Amino acid sequence: MGILIVMCIGILAGRFLVSPRLKKGNEYVSILCTFILIFAMGVMLGKKENFIEELSSLGLSSFLFFLIPAGCSIGAVYFLTKHFMKNEESESCGKELEE
Amino acid sequence: MIVVLMIVSLVLGLACGLFDIENILISTISQNTDLVLYILMFSVGISIGMQKGILKKIREYHFKIFIIPLGIILGSLLGGLICSALLGIPTGYATAITSGMGWYSLAGATISKLADAELGSIAFMSNLMREIFSFFVIPFLALHLNQYTCIAIAGATSEDTTLPVILKYTNEETVVLSVFNGMICSFFVPILISFCLNMV
Repeated sequence: MGILIVMCIGILAGRFLVSPRLKKGNEYVSILCTFILIFAMGVMLGKKENFIEELSSLGLSSFLFFLIPAGCSIGAVYFLTKHFMKNEESESCGKELEE
Repeated sequence: MIVVLMIVSLVLGLACGLFDIENILISTISQNTDLVLYILMFSVGISIGMQKGILKKIREYHFKIFIIPLGIILGSLLGGLICSALLGIPTGYATAITSGMGWYSLAGATISKLADAELGSIAFMSNLMREIFSFFVIPFLALHLNQYTCIAIAGATSEDTTLPVILKYTNEETVVLSVFNGMICSFFVPILISFCLNMV
């Protein structure tokens, strides 16, 4: 709940306080925070006892338990949004890959 | 480029954890992840706030805003049923594992406590894989399917850790749907896990 409140404050700040010139800088802050969170997640996992052993012994089952539900979710959302939602292709969609 | 840097971050973090490398910077980062998450959410909020007219656009969706979380939940449960048949694990356990929808800490801890440690480990790792692979698959999904499917793989993590990647490869409108989806999925994760475990 806390993060949602912070995000709402951010929305208000973005709407009324922050200059549009700072948009790019704000994107860099987002990306930097993401890298830090991923790094911290790696540290936490690396410190976990038996992490490597667990990964090798239960790896295949875990991979299937990731792959199949994720694939089904993507398929279900693709089907539902294609039929029930307007898919307005944004100019920004995929811009990063096209560059 | 961003994906490569994410892999590098993860590998560096794993190396620091595995080899017990400790310094002030690493311990400060590790102990303040909540603060970093708050900064991230504030920054994401600013991005959304800078987009004029986006909330009006979201209101136009009405009940259709629930389509994405519905698809994710149904897809995850269907995936659990398929895994149950493939691996010979009772349906209740398999669907409980897939009900984590990427929220690995909660799914792993809950299933370890309510079922057994091995299932808890599978829940932890499979949901962790969902989060990690999301970072790498989202750019592909944005380009080859539609932007809503970027939210599908992220599942319950679409409101926090995977949000910046979704923002990078889609647009602000999809980001708002993504946050809404993350709230709904996160709300249903503990409910679905206990419901599925009660079926065993």
